[in-house]
Amino acid sequence: MTKRGNIQIAVYAFVCLVILLLPFVLGNDYLLNRIARYLVLGLLAMSLSLCWGYAGILNLGQALSFGIGSYCMAMTLKLRTVPVQTGAGGLPDFMVWNNVETLPWLWVPFHSTTFALLAGIGVPVLLAALLGWFMFKGRVTGVYVAIITLAALVVGNLLVIDAQAYTGGFNGLTDLAQLELFGITFDAYGRSTYYLCAICLTFSLFAALALTRSKTGLILQAVRDQENRVRYFGYDVAHYKSFALCVSAGFAGLAGMLYTVVMEFASPTFMGVPLSLSVVVWCAVGGRSSLLGATLGAIIVAGMQNVLSEQRAFLETWTLIMGAIFVLVVLFLPKGLAGLSEAIAGRLDRSRPSALVSDAVTVEKNIALPEVRR
Amino acid sequence: MRAASNHLQLSDISVSFSGFRAVDGLNLGVARGELRCLIGPNGAGKTTCLDLICGKTKPSAGSIRLDTRELTTLEEHQIARAGVGRKFQVPSVFRELTVRENLEVAHCKSVGVFANALRFGRSTETDGLEKLAELVGIEDRLGQPAAYLSHGETQWLEIALLIAQNSELILMDEPTAGMTAQETRKTAELFLRLKGRHTLIVVEHDMGFIREIGDVISVMHQGRMLAEGTVHEIEADPEVQRAYLGSGGISHA
Repeated sequence: MTKRGNIQIAVYAFVCLVILLLPFVLGNDYLLNRIARYLVLGLLAMSLSLCWGYAGILNLGQALSFGIGSYCMAMTLKLRTVPVQTGAGGLPDFMVWNNVETLPWLWVPFHSTTFALLAGIGVPVLLAALLGWFMFKGRVTGVYVAIITLAALVVGNLLVIDAQAYTGGFNGLTDLAQLELFGITFDAYGRSTYYLCAICLTFSLFAALALTRSKTGLILQAVRDQENRVRYFGYDVAHYKSFALCVSAGFAGLAGMLYTVVMEFASPTFMGVPLSLSVVVWCAVGGRSSLLGATLGAIIVAGMQNVLSEQRAFLETWTLIMGAIFVLVVLFLPKGLAGLSEAIAGRLDRSRPSALVSDAVTVEKNIALPEVRR
Repeated sequence: MRAASNHLQLSDISVSFSGFRAVDGLNLGVARGELRCLIGPNGAGKTTCLDLICGKTKPSAGSIRLDTRELTTLEEHQIARAGVGRKFQVPSVFRELTVRENLEVAHCKSVGVFANALRFGRSTETDGLEKLAELVGIEDRLGQPAAYLSHGETQWLEIALLIAQNSELILMDEPTAGMTAQETRKTAELFLRLKGRHTLIVVEHDMGFIREIGDVISVMHQGRMLAEGTVHEIEADPEVQRAYLGSGGISHA
């Protein structure tokens, strides 16, 4: 057990190290910005893996938390732009176009970057707590959770689009200032932004890993397995599930904030249904019950999406290819890429006459599971 | 039997499922440290009775008290925290978790989500859990997912989970179903050891098992308490014999 645990930490550390060292190999700023974007999407997929893979809560509205985080960051950065066309007291340009005369109360606290950073994580967490409390106290489970979270996402998306005078509507929030923290300016096409994303991802991966290995993480996995049985051991299942939903929303909010920094704008598509469903695909491809698997799944799939859609040959067929990959993974790799790598590791362990035979047997048996079930 | 000093007291409990009265004005009192067997023909309401105590089913009338605490208004996890553990008829363990992890889930000092989020060190607990696995003979399977256990071993694991949970009152629904004669005997020994430290209510069909463990037996029939007494008294009771008519008599039930 502990040997497997240490290998897991080593693999996580290795991947994070590769990510952190990448700028030394890549000199291309445009490419670096793009990879930073994939890292953020990886963080988003990891957040879903935490509640879907570990607690069995399929949150189809993960992009809601992501979008809120993104808008919180965009609002504070918008207030820092030197406006080209401005109203009284540095009113954002789109508000002037929409005949708004004073800064709405919702925007006022965003003059403080600290507030924005706290809100970018805090608001999604509070929303998740509220939603979780309603759903899990009422013992809503399975597909109904998916439907409710999806509905919440659509509502949030419509509200943002509808309140054009306050949110920029379809256009989102554009023409933002660059984020400044601790005297560092985060230029979207500079290394600083890349490192910001890479460090946030590393920190989040290890924080989430620690959570999954705590007793709460164990109980969440028990809830995923047999929710009703857990109650009879004295645990309040609603608390545990709400907690998982909240932590997941917090990480998604952080990802959203970073996304605004990397993309230099916020848009209602950041809390759109297509993005939210893509996250589910990324998790499925990478392996939803592996935090690192989901992260890499997002990086690989989103990266491929981008590369394919820019090739002339695949201009019209790239969505088809992505769909085919998804179907193949679901059919043949129910545990995703993470499951595949575990299986390969198990094979290697078996072929090598190891001193720790019992450990190898454990690993191997763990891998045999999906095959038995199929 | 309705003394106020009873550890568990069910008074005039009724429940119906879409018109069918599964339990109808049931009274049952169990003293602290007692091992009580609950028997009765199929459909007598034995499992429903356990469901009512552990909160899985809410009664339509009556009260259930554990010492001075009223259980009927509590949720399942609150009842469990109040000191009630339950083994289900169909063995119910966490199949995707290893045996060791199963035991860790069952053995908990604190149930709060935040306290447990900061709990990593398992070294102090592990020793006791290994001994527990040894007690029920699954110590060499600690690292394996519970899904790989045989039916008998799964039964043992769930019994071990209940011991790990360390509840004052343990409800066992057909704990020996699917066990060999030898395993059944081992279970009987284990229950006799638990008696005194814990209060046990055991629903069982196997009369041989009941003869080994039971002091006082309660017989249910059609949602009511039909008789209460020692094995000999129950077997000689004409009403009990009548209730079991058609199912081959009590000894073959």
